[in-house]
Amino acid sequence: MSVTPSTTRPLANLKQAIRQCRAERAQHRRHYAAATESLYPSLQTRYPPPTPGFRPSQAIKQNRFEIGLRKIPVIPPPPSTAKAVPDPIASLTSLQLSTLDPASFRRRLFSALNPDRARVGDILLVRLKSGEPFSGVCINIRARNSPIDTAVLLRNNLTRVAVEMWFKIFSPGVSGIEVVRRKEGRRARRAKLYYMRLPKHDIGSVEGVTRTYLRGRQGGAPTGGGGGANKGKKKSKN
Amino acid sequence: MPPRQTPARLFAVPPTFLCPSIPRQQLRTILSITKPIPKPSRFNASPHLPVLGTSHTAALARKSRTLPLRTGALAIKKGMTALYDTESAKRTPCTVLQLDRVQVLGIKTRKEHGYWALQVGAGTKEARNVTRPERGHYAKQGVPLKRHVAEFRVKDEAGLIPTGTNLTADLFSVGQYIDAKANSRGMGFAGGMKRHGFHGQPASHGNSLTHRAMGSAGASQGSGSRVLPGKKMAGRMGGEQVTVQSLRVMSVDRELGIVVVAGAVPGPKGCVVKVQDAIKKPWPDAVWPPTEVVEAMREGVEKVPAAA
Repeated sequence: MSVTPSTTRPLANLKQAIRQCRAERAQHRRHYAAATESLYPSLQTRYPPPTPGFRPSQAIKQNRFEIGLRKIPVIPPPPSTAKAVPDPIASLTSLQLSTLDPASFRRRLFSALNPDRARVGDILLVRLKSGEPFSGVCINIRARNSPIDTAVLLRNNLTRVAVEMWFKIFSPGVSGIEVVRRKEGRRARRAKLYYMRLPKHDIGSVEGVTRTYLRGRQGGAPTGGGGGANKGKKKSKN
Repeated sequence: MPPRQTPARLFAVPPTFLCPSIPRQQLRTILSITKPIPKPSRFNASPHLPVLGTSHTAALARKSRTLPLRTGALAIKKGMTALYDTESAKRTPCTVLQLDRVQVLGIKTRKEHGYWALQVGAGTKEARNVTRPERGHYAKQGVPLKRHVAEFRVKDEAGLIPTGTNLTADLFSVGQYIDAKANSRGMGFAGGMKRHGFHGQPASHGNSLTHRAMGSAGASQGSGSRVLPGKKMAGRMGGEQVTVQSLRVMSVDRELGIVVVAGAVPGPKGCVVKVQDAIKKPWPDAVWPPTEVVEAMREGVEKVPAAA
């Protein structure tokens, strides 16, 4: 069915012209829709008319694929432990540390926020549950992904033989860690002081320093410095 | 896709009891043409005869010693850490496995399927990403949608658990041993040295561009003038199921949903691990589900509305 266009279009009246144009276009659309409806019944949409501003991607987002199909009930999922506890390893670590380091002495001694922490280059004395205490210059503090496995590497010269030992700071076998002497001079410019293995930089034995420190502690002032390194135990004669 | 229209019938057929002679179907099928094949007489299966080796009875008897008595669970590998023993100061490296939304989805019985097993699911999934047949399965069983699904074979019906039971971390007890199955980390296309431990060639002494090569692929004419099938060569490595047996359970926490096992478990962080009682250790005495869970289930389990 053809549409007879309006004959007169006064160009002077722009508003009316636009109105007439719009009306013509609407008429065209309606006629075309009616034509297709009668000619192709199988192409009729079985879906509700699209919302204004409809785009094909919206059909996918609106999940309109199951209209007209039987609804399958879906039971909601139970609460998730993975969402409630996204990092169980951190929970496990803090649980362990509450028994291994209840007053946080060890944590604070090596914490980056503590200005008086033990650093590489300091001479540390490690007291063990069983065995001789070991002292040496700290050349590496290994704090990897797992905080419970933080360890220090101490280097010493025992009877002209260089010995390096690793100590896990949170191990129950380590009963105490003390700072014998802070690094002299400027702070070490590296995190790992492996250059100390070279004879030029090797400080040798720290026995003398340790002995002086222990003698000083026994007779001298009560423990004040060291950033709360030890657990407050009175030191017995070695 | 638009819904299919049912084919229109030419005429309404009266019910069978009124007119039995009218054929119901206009279709020809195998069953309409032929008679079903009769089952063979079980002349060789009798209480007086020895059990036939190809029967379900014999198969289950063969496996009875290595099938666990109870189900396992699906867990996510969260990572590794270490546990210290306060008395002995011993450090044990451990893997943390977390159970997330683990439920029993279904049961396999000897009568229907020929073996006893539990279908267990973990995690969750978007409903629109699950096919309708799968969604129907979950709706029929009355359980929510699951991302990971696996079967756990059990020895007999005593190890079966009602559908819908939540499997929590205290399924396992501290001190018991478990087997962990997971897909190992994929190494991609790996060379001979990594894949099979070939020794390669010298690093120096005139060696040119051939430090990690395979070398020879076999003898010559005497070995068939060919490379024998199965020759170890470079290729894809990893990404396959690996079972690590007899891992000790160091710690169990029901609130965190974690089972901490000593040692390493295959797969990367975040992978799904099948955890079940170790077959090479004495079976644990633990009974699952515990009484309070059974009571709670008997009291009031929400019934799912039947599919429309």
